[in-house]
Amino acid sequence: MTQLARLDLEPTQTDVGHLLAPRLARKYPERVTGAFVVPAREGCYVDLPSDLPAPLHGALRTRGRERLYSHQGACWDAVQRGEDVVVVTPTASGKTLCYTLPVVAGAMTRRSKALYLFPTKALAQDQVAELIELSKAGDLGVRAATFDGDTPGDQRQAIRLSGDIVVTNPDMLHQGILPHHTKWAQFLENLAYVVIDEIHAYRGVFGSHLVNVLRRLERICAFYGVRPQFILCSATIGNPKEHAEALIGRPVTAITESGAPAGEKHVLLWNPPVVNPDLGLRASARSQSNRIARMAIKAGLKTLVFAQSRTMVEVLTKYLKDVFDHDPRKPARIRAYRGGYLPTERREAERAMRDGRIDGIVSTSALELGVDIGALDVVVLNGYPGSVSGTWQRFGRAGRRQKPSLGVLVASSDPLDQYIVRHPEFFSDASPEHARIAPDQPVILLDHIRCAAFELPFLKGDTFGPVDPAVYLQLLAEDGVLHPEGGRWEWIAESYPAGAVSLRSVADGNFVVVDRTDGRQVIIAEVDFSSAPLMLYEGAIHMVQSTPFQVERLDWEGRKAYVTRTHVDYYTDAIDYTRLKVLESFNSAVTGVGQVHHGEVHVVRRVSGYKKIRYYTHENIGYGPVTLPDQEMHTTACWWQLPEPVLHSLFDNRQQALDGFLGAAHALHVVARIAVMADGADLQKAVGSGDGAWSATGDGRGRGQLRATDGAAVQADALARFEPTVYLYDNYPGGVGLSEPLFQRQAELLQRAQSLVEACDCRAGCPGCVGPVLDEGVPLTEGPRQLALRLLRALQAA
Amino acid sequence: MTLNLARLQALRRQSGAPAAAAVATPAPPAAKIDADPLARLRGLLRVKRRDAPAPASAEDRMLPGREIAPGLWLQEARLPFDLPWQPHLDAAFARRDAPLPTSELLFFDTETTGLAGGTGTRAFMIGAATLDPAGLHIRQLTITTTRAEPAMLDLFRGWLRPSTILVSYNGKSYDAPLLKTRYRLMRQAEPLSALDHVDLLHPTRRRYRGVFENCRLGTIERRVLGIVREDDLPGSEAPGAWLDYLRGSSAKQLRRVMAHNHQDVVTLARLAIHLGR
Repeated sequence: MTQLARLDLEPTQTDVGHLLAPRLARKYPERVTGAFVVPAREGCYVDLPSDLPAPLHGALRTRGRERLYSHQGACWDAVQRGEDVVVVTPTASGKTLCYTLPVVAGAMTRRSKALYLFPTKALAQDQVAELIELSKAGDLGVRAATFDGDTPGDQRQAIRLSGDIVVTNPDMLHQGILPHHTKWAQFLENLAYVVIDEIHAYRGVFGSHLVNVLRRLERICAFYGVRPQFILCSATIGNPKEHAEALIGRPVTAITESGAPAGEKHVLLWNPPVVNPDLGLRASARSQSNRIARMAIKAGLKTLVFAQSRTMVEVLTKYLKDVFDHDPRKPARIRAYRGGYLPTERREAERAMRDGRIDGIVSTSALELGVDIGALDVVVLNGYPGSVSGTWQRFGRAGRRQKPSLGVLVASSDPLDQYIVRHPEFFSDASPEHARIAPDQPVILLDHIRCAAFELPFLKGDTFGPVDPAVYLQLLAEDGVLHPEGGRWEWIAESYPAGAVSLRSVADGNFVVVDRTDGRQVIIAEVDFSSAPLMLYEGAIHMVQSTPFQVERLDWEGRKAYVTRTHVDYYTDAIDYTRLKVLESFNSAVTGVGQVHHGEVHVVRRVSGYKKIRYYTHENIGYGPVTLPDQEMHTTACWWQLPEPVLHSLFDNRQQALDGFLGAAHALHVVARIAVMADGADLQKAVGSGDGAWSATGDGRGRGQLRATDGAAVQADALARFEPTVYLYDNYPGGVGLSEPLFQRQAELLQRAQSLVEACDCRAGCPGCVGPVLDEGVPLTEGPRQLALRLLRALQAA
Repeated sequence: MTLNLARLQALRRQSGAPAAAAVATPAPPAAKIDADPLARLRGLLRVKRRDAPAPASAEDRMLPGREIAPGLWLQEARLPFDLPWQPHLDAAFARRDAPLPTSELLFFDTETTGLAGGTGTRAFMIGAATLDPAGLHIRQLTITTTRAEPAMLDLFRGWLRPSTILVSYNGKSYDAPLLKTRYRLMRQAEPLSALDHVDLLHPTRRRYRGVFENCRLGTIERRVLGIVREDDLPGSEAPGAWLDYLRGSSAKQLRRVMAHNHQDVVTLARLAIHLGR
């Protein structure tokens, strides 16, 4: 990880690129909470390899490449030695050539084949366009094509039979290629390379699925007698080699030193100013991003603004266009870019950016991955993208060789954002997050063993990757899809298993939302199993593309929700309780005066009803009942507890203890999500008793409320025993590997949570530290912040 | 998490997987780590009510024909034809200029374990018929174990000559690719790609599109050829019939599948002749 230095805000150079950061810092000193510089880097070059086929040499020269960067040369050497490789260099460092060279050389010299996996179709198409151009430039005769859901039927056979490089995505490989592998026999028999780009994107549930898809691929390759080499590319994450090895199940050579030259990078952390001190409200991130982008564009610097949502892209674009594009006779200087635009529009926008005709772009994360848009000077992030590595990737879009570039992170009011900008040393010191996967998660493993059995029978003694599949095969035989006979497990069911497995979820019970307005029967949305009770109860208002529908009937067994278009003036919000019970503790430790555990828990979630809330005024205008089955699951968790006598010494009464636990849980959840790079709702928090007798939720004003198993409110003093527990749990049956690292790092989490709460500007509590609090003038020593701090301190070693 | 069968089943239910038909009550929470997963499974079986397949009586397992290899049955039949023998078939219906030699035609149809496509679907029955002056010679291969599949494929390949002309109904899109997939999986030479193949579905559609409610073989058989089947097993029940037999049930349904397949192949021959007149 490159070292960050403090940015000198009194620059010696006077060109506009060097001046912008200091100008911003001087004009808005309270808003800039951190200023850093990544030093410039010289290029490090090597000659084109001597064993490169001559026409390929020629093709490269025609396109202006006389030499390679050192990392491109190192990759070539490693691949020639037969190693599996991961290239971990920053954006725009020429990673593509690392794999293009060996793949094209192989295709030319021995007609070997390669399979490329890209996360999106747009990237796949770009790749193929590049390869075709390279092949033309040197008359290399290499045939490349995309193969995905959009590939027309009449082209598929030709690609299978004569494609040298097939570019696809994980979903297509899983559903469209592997289950039909005999049609790909000629391709697979000559498969020498598998290239996977952007492997940092394959983490969490998606990554866990991909590992298993690759296990199926390797199994099938073994059937055809081949063992292809893997060439992987990753953005900077904390554990690229480990992650690559976990993905493919083999040792990997990591190439981490980039030989590409890079200009100096300035980075600013920006917190919008407080506009309402009593309530602790800040100005919107949007207003700040708008202002910064305006200044940059006026100074003649090409600027890219990343927004978190499509709506925000449109809003920011409008504001910038009002300033810069008010003359319709002149060509547009500002452009928006997001999913939902037609592919042709996006290609045109990319071209315009590459040609330098655009001065300002506003985009969603759709532009984060490798699409080439030329060089930019300034990147503004409207809101924290959720991870340090994601932040650096987006900043990586700005950078030219001779001039410095600037990246500005503007924080929103989200607790994560506020944490980052208030702890600039966290950002500068932070190693990028580790990517985590749990490929042997039982539900995921079962799905893929089922798919694998469809593709090739299992023989007695076969393994699936490193896993012994015996128990799974037994279960599948019981289910009637496999027939064991003479040491073989043969597929005999009528179904097509890959069709029922989504690579992005751990469930096969997705609900469909069917629009029945005016007698239609149209599927308009899909909701996953665990979200269904929160969104599809009868009476719920469900929004699709901002259009409201009301759920008239929910067919739980059939996994369907029937809705009609509605025009009511309220929206609905489900009231749910989550209760946890400890099943087994795998590992525990003493921490301060309490205990921390890692183990298995039983989670029950019940939706007991819903509130109707009027738009704009946000009044609660009514309630409705919900009678749906409880959702239960076993999963893994990390939890903290204090014994009852210790509680007595720390807190005056049980209500105080409860408020302290709820506040601490909130703060721990914020820092834990950052620590394990958890996506969205993957990691959840809860406060309850260890035996599941009661659970607690905040009432939105800083007071905790206990509920018993039937959902009825209970007074804390009425309980015989009182042993509150803070849980952080994986939100998937069987867990996805988030809890164990939390347990390992628990001391660090407690410490970060403590500093988060201590350093907060609020008085008694706010969503940025312990959760929303209605400050009723409670003495400062007993507000939710202080109670949470008492607990957090007590849990740390004396 | 320690894994055993019970825990795995519990996790599947929790993730929303539809419960296996037999489970009446949820499995008890797996509190103890059981060293023997099979013992745990037997414990569950005591609790659950399973619909085990009814044990079949010995006579009920009879199949027509003879078992020519372990698990591989061959049934042969000869059907005199009521039409005069023509050494060539006019194939203008198939947009061919040259007539086809009748003795080279091989009419074939398979029964499979499903319509899903992909490598996991197999043919458990291949029916084939050839014409000679004496009439129609029908041969049907059926496997009763999955292990017999390579032998069936090998034998079927032996029925094919380089000059054989395959005739099927939708076989170019369905039966032939399926068999090719199975040959490749069994690592056997695949004999079908090299042969000429006339698929009667397309000429039938050209001639009879819009005339009847659809162009399914059953409809054409009834309406054009005047053949009526009695007690015919619907094609969709064929996979289940074979699976039941595989698991030890009565052969009754499987015999009906054989009768169905037999008639399919006979109809194919009659249809070809009808189209060629």
